[in-house]
Amino acid sequence: MQIDLYGIVAIVGNYGSGKTEISINLAVDRKQAGLDVRIADLDLVNPYFRTREARQALAEAGVEVVLPPEHLLQADLPVLSPAIGGMIQQSGDLAVLDVGGNNAGARVLAALADAFKGRQVHMLQVINPMRPAMNTAAGCLKLRDEIEKAARLKITGFIGNANLIDETGLQEIYSGYEFVQSLAQQSGLPLEFIAVARKLLPDIDRRRFSCPVLPVDRQLVPPWLSAAKFGGSVG
Amino acid sequence: MSKVLMKGNEAIGEAAIRAGSLNYFAYPITPQSEVAEYLSRRMPEVGGVFLQGESEVAVSYMIFGAAACGERVFTTSSSPGISLMSEGISYITAAECPAVFVNIMRGGPGLGGILPSQADYFQATKGGGHGDYRLLVMAPASVQEAVEMVMQAFVLAEKYLNPVMILGDGLIGQMMEPVEFPEHLKVEPSNKDGWATSGMDTRKSSHRNLVKTLYLDPGELNAHNLKLKAKYERMQREEIRYETYNLNGDYEILIVSYGTMSRVCRTAIDNLKESGLEVGMIRPQHLFPFPGQAINDAAAKKGCRAVLSVEMSMGQMVEDVERSVIGKCPVHWYGKCGGEVPTPEEVMGEIRKIIE
Repeated sequence: MQIDLYGIVAIVGNYGSGKTEISINLAVDRKQAGLDVRIADLDLVNPYFRTREARQALAEAGVEVVLPPEHLLQADLPVLSPAIGGMIQQSGDLAVLDVGGNNAGARVLAALADAFKGRQVHMLQVINPMRPAMNTAAGCLKLRDEIEKAARLKITGFIGNANLIDETGLQEIYSGYEFVQSLAQQSGLPLEFIAVARKLLPDIDRRRFSCPVLPVDRQLVPPWLSAAKFGGSVG
Repeated sequence: MSKVLMKGNEAIGEAAIRAGSLNYFAYPITPQSEVAEYLSRRMPEVGGVFLQGESEVAVSYMIFGAAACGERVFTTSSSPGISLMSEGISYITAAECPAVFVNIMRGGPGLGGILPSQADYFQATKGGGHGDYRLLVMAPASVQEAVEMVMQAFVLAEKYLNPVMILGDGLIGQMMEPVEFPEHLKVEPSNKDGWATSGMDTRKSSHRNLVKTLYLDPGELNAHNLKLKAKYERMQREEIRYETYNLNGDYEILIVSYGTMSRVCRTAIDNLKESGLEVGMIRPQHLFPFPGQAINDAAAKKGCRAVLSVEMSMGQMVEDVERSVIGKCPVHWYGKCGGEVPTPEEVMGEIRKIIE
């Protein structure tokens, strides 16, 4: 089962749901599948662990990265590059927008309303039920409404990302999948794919899932760990 | 209880609630603003109060007021904000009120930058504000440890009637790790009858409590300072806490490092072990009181050639390390403080340089 996403894909969700890891890994996975891929760091609310920190690895993987100007990368200010509008207008095969957390982070999308005019936007909400307040359907759907209001766009699908980072086991993956699957059924929106750490894949029974699986090579690691190599073992 | 995945700042806020502190006053500043954001939503859910002060100076006196009334109270800030609070911290310490201050350090001096730093070591352990006072300073190295320390901090603040500071670098606030909130760390407040100004009708005692910091009589002020000094000496006897790593066998170098910096050092120690070089580490979990005796003992061990203090500052804790080692072997410093955390490779390079 392949991930079937083209055009503009905005990744939203609550703080710490894994939006950035998924954006980066989705961009590289689709690039490796032969698509022309761009990614934009639209996180204006988070000061650390942003897509910009993986810019080199992304560039090496052949993904075009759209960022604020270099001298503003560490600014404690919301900096929105004018290049984003152009990227939305000329999205190529796939343009991934890594959006900041919650409704506060999603507000940036409303500011891009002019660029989105007449364009189809896939706005996907990342769900990690191991995050506080995201372990009930009501919590996830309340946040969906808040994000939609702030972004002035509709969420079109979900991404399952059940994990406890290094303490993730198969149980978290399976029960997390069932949670997001039931959330998708309840809301009538598709579950586009689930994300699973690549190192867990050999132990996973994929027949239990009726959606594609995005392998995740963790990029945004604390300084005492090394980022994983895309498509391979830990580097 | 099952684990949840939390950002350090969220977990710190939740830990305070679990410890029974329903009073939170703060002013936003990167990289700790998520505590305020999290608690602005959570405090109303649990019947608590979050009030944003008009400045950190105001916040420190809101803390003073609530603490004097016997309420469990805390604040969070980052380096420049703690500088502003330092006046209030000196007053709260003088008045012997319990409170918890969390500093998620960013680069300084001045506005500095928003990335991780440990350059407020002096400020936290040696003063910051005026007068002869000390804070009990706890330094978590993981989100789980931050949770546990926040919960313990309220109890320690009440034990000593003295503010406790949690000193975390920006990474502690910003990184995500799985956590749980240990029920057993929630300890009900001790008897407040002897000091809280909560109204005569709330206490069994007929004694009127007075919260003050002004002692115009020189003899009285000296006696007050001697009383505080005795309290800090008791902390030095009872509250030393540290963790050791690779210290059981022989080692050529001893690292002293705290907070997330110590996790980088762990990786460096593991890598050096593979190449046959043994390095041990002491990680102070409390920075005041400082584990001086443990460091002295470890430095004196046969085969230990040098001690290296690794910190995200230009050399602050190294002064306490030197004072602890007292000439047993040479003491070196390595660190950075622009916001880039030294990598395991850089720490390994520094150790190799010392060996050569």
